[in-house]
Amino acid sequence: MSKIVILGAGISGHVAAAHLRRELSKEHEVLVVSPNSNYQWIPSNIWVGIGRMKSKQILFPLAPLYKKKGIGFKQAKAISFHPEGDTIEQKAYVLAEYVVGDNKGQQEKVTYDYLINATGPKLNFEATEGLIPGTNKTYSVCTYTHADHAWEGLKALIQEMKKGKKAKILIGTGHAKSTCQGAAFEYILNVEKELHKHNVRDMAEITWIANEHKLGDFGMDGMLLSYGSMTMKSSEMVEMIFEDRDIKWIIGAGVNKIEDGVAHYENLEGEYKTETYDFAMLIPSFSGHGFKAYDKKANDITDKLFKGFMIVDADYTPKPYEEWSVKDWPETYQNPTYKNIFAPGIAFAPPHAISKPRKSKNGTDISPAPPRTGMPSGITAKLVADNIIDTIKNGKESLHHKGSMGNMGAACIASAGYGMTQGSGVSITTYPIVPDYEKYPKTQGRQLGKTFGEIGLAGHWLKLALHYAFIYKAKMRPFWWLIPE
Amino acid sequence: MTQRISKYQRFKMMNPIIQLFKFIYLSIKIMLVVAGGHGGTRKVN
Ligand SMILES: Cc1cc2nc3c(=O)[nH]c(=O)nc-3n(C[C@H](O)[C@H](O)[C@H](O)COP(=O)(O)OP(=O)(O)OC[C@H]3O[C@@H](n4cnc5c(N)ncnc54)[C@H](O)[C@@H]3O)c2cc1C
Repeated sequence: MSKIVILGAGISGHVAAAHLRRELSKEHEVLVVSPNSNYQWIPSNIWVGIGRMKSKQILFPLAPLYKKKGIGFKQAKAISFHPEGDTIEQKAYVLAEYVVGDNKGQQEKVTYDYLINATGPKLNFEATEGLIPGTNKTYSVCTYTHADHAWEGLKALIQEMKKGKKAKILIGTGHAKSTCQGAAFEYILNVEKELHKHNVRDMAEITWIANEHKLGDFGMDGMLLSYGSMTMKSSEMVEMIFEDRDIKWIIGAGVNKIEDGVAHYENLEGEYKTETYDFAMLIPSFSGHGFKAYDKKANDITDKLFKGFMIVDADYTPKPYEEWSVKDWPETYQNPTYKNIFAPGIAFAPPHAISKPRKSKNGTDISPAPPRTGMPSGITAKLVADNIIDTIKNGKESLHHKGSMGNMGAACIASAGYGMTQGSGVSITTYPIVPDYEKYPKTQGRQLGKTFGEIGLAGHWLKLALHYAFIYKAKMRPFWWLIPE
Repeated sequence: MTQRISKYQRFKMMNPIIQLFKFIYLSIKIMLVVAGGHGGTRKVN
């Protein structure tokens, strides 16, 4: 009998738990430890942030589902890792602390045979002074509660605009090293569209602010994509959309401080500037959770498990951008020291960025961190689960399932406005996610055709279809496993 | 504001009939890209 503990019930943790439970007989224990009582389909937070969806439409409680499916659940947060156990506990364990109920604050050693760390990112708002969702007129859409607040803030501003107020809206990244530009891109297009719906578009100046050196970089070093019969750069595509929608932009900007209605930033030229606003949605930087790890004798071994995020089978040798290779990226998400620990989704430490690192003239790093979107998070979680299942079934380590982001495609369906007949979406697929400049030297590391962009109403329908399909899948309804990650 | 998307292009982008076909086409294409498999990069067969 094996016990598999999964930390986190986001996209990757939940996918791993669901597949493990489906494939393993009941003699094996599958246990999820996560502080949030709900599963949330994060991509639809964009629509919560414009008031087109209620947060209850994008979440559901985990405990009843897990009970029904025979998955254990502890509403607790992991605090420290003890992969060798300790002098009292022989087995490897994670120290977890309950976050609700009678045992709130109580700590427990959660032992495991296999551990999947799927804790995603820490939303590191503290890294930018004054960037606190709901204060200083800045908001976030990274969680459903943040998105609810964002809509309250935007709704209030729309009311003021209806009474004649001219407003400035600022959307983008809130730190020089933020990632997740795609989410901010979706939000700015949705906000722009909503202002039209409320007949106040003329009252607003909308500005994109980002740490990308070019529009459409998205932390993926930009893309060369097929667009209809043309081949277009993602920078050209985004520029076309922004100009068409009268959205201004500030790029190469590392936001470093927020005051009430004022964003301070440094740009790649080394200039220190400010931008005022009445409403801002700025994505914070993401970091690891600051977990500690200890060996049997309680010596600190954090550096064997973590490099900010969790260390996996990547090549972490520091090297210049010109020498980066797809081969640096992990394939099995297994920790090299403790081979029964895995980290899919955002929880693993990437070997380096994807976009070329850039510094301002003052030496400040201003460039996006590498994104890991929902699709690779789900795919990497499933392959980790499959390898654990094979290992348990075969009785010996099996790592046949591999999935490097350098040999994996992803789709990003960016909503560009909500509505069954008036909605729009920018559908972009990339293959591979991490550009392979050896294989595709003439097309910016990606395969044209498999890397394409489309704009239109169909994109909105697709995004909506994905919303329903993935919530159906997450609820583990009949034949859920037929829906791919 | 600079009109970068022509009226004809916009018509095609927002016409529900054209977009229904696009929806089917995009769904298949995305499935092929995403569900088309993944693997390692270190050992090339
Ligand atoms: C607004 C927004 C829109 C997005 N839109 C898209 C999109 O359209 N398409 C797309 O592909 N991707 C999108 N993404 C990215 C996508 O949401 C992420 O890639 C995905 O959520 C990552 O999954 P994950 O499981 O690794 O992390 P998460 O989903 O963040 O899950 C982490 C889990 O770990 C738990 N946890 C945290 N700390 C602890 C702890 N100490 N102990 C135990 N558990 C812990 C959390 O509660 C959570 O359950 C979007 C992201 C945002 C923010």
